[in-house]
Amino acid sequence: MPTGAYLILAAAVFSIGLVGVMLRRNLIVLFMSIELMLNAVNLTLVAGSRMWGNADGQVFTFLIIVVAAAEVVVGLAILVNLFFRRGTVDVDVPALLRS
Amino acid sequence: MIEGLTGEVLAFVVFAGIALGAAIAVVSMRNLVHGALMLVIHLLAVAGLYLTLESQFLAIVQVLVYAGAIVVLFLFVIMLLGVDRDDLLIVHDRRKVAGIVAAGLIVAGAMTAAFVGPYTSEASVCGSDVTAVGIEQPCVGLAAAQGPDDAAGVAFLGRRLFTRYTLVFELSAVLLTVATIGAVILARRRDLLPEDEDLAAATPVQAPTTTDEEA
Repeated sequence: MPTGAYLILAAAVFSIGLVGVMLRRNLIVLFMSIELMLNAVNLTLVAGSRMWGNADGQVFTFLIIVVAAAEVVVGLAILVNLFFRRGTVDVDVPALLRS
Repeated sequence: MIEGLTGEVLAFVVFAGIALGAAIAVVSMRNLVHGALMLVIHLLAVAGLYLTLESQFLAIVQVLVYAGAIVVLFLFVIMLLGVDRDDLLIVHDRRKVAGIVAAGLIVAGAMTAAFVGPYTSEASVCGSDVTAVGIEQPCVGLAAAQGPDDAAGVAFLGRRLFTRYTLVFELSAVLLTVATIGAVILARRRDLLPEDEDLAAATPVQAPTTTDEEA
């Protein structure tokens, strides 16, 4: 299978995640769309790693998974806090993050 | 197509179709729980794609960390907050939706246009000894680089991770520690502490009859 097939699939998934970030108003869906985009980038890195026979892409994929886990943990903690204070996770609410 | 690759092509088509469909479902499902379950399906399909890319260890990590931990965290928060009922697409502004979808199509088209050419040529099919314009060397695959006694590629990955990228690895450990402490502090129930009673009174969920909700 040519590497380009994986790259084109990753471009499509990345664009779907981008559309999700712009289209949805719920903060949780925004987080899930960001996960989609991170996954698309991971797929390109693994495809490149296979193509060149080089471990760098796999190492970076591994680290991106770690960073994504940390990001989700902190982001969801902020989201829970926000919901208890504001009663909503709609990003179109004005001054959602203002204390 | 080169002989012997039909199994990989079939696996790629199946997993890519599932991944694409599930990704579209994640951003278009109205029910958040359904969206999170679609995210699980997408992540498992990507793990299958990692298997077709000879990266077994990353496929297992993907299932464990993403599908096992992160999505469970998503579902836990969705069900804890009960926010799965009032989520809406911005359907009352169809021009805005059309513009956003068009922007996504433009981004996808631009990236595809960059990939078609060197990365879809014969040189990017593993095992072929063809050199294409724009790529200095043909696809070599991971099997040769990993060696015969490292079928899953764990030593291949670990050797690079603990030599050239040791500092990055240590920094990721620091990041995980900071994230854990930060999440505990952020999610702490402030109304359980006696000196924070005013904050507890201002929490709408805990005290709906309070008068100073703007505090």
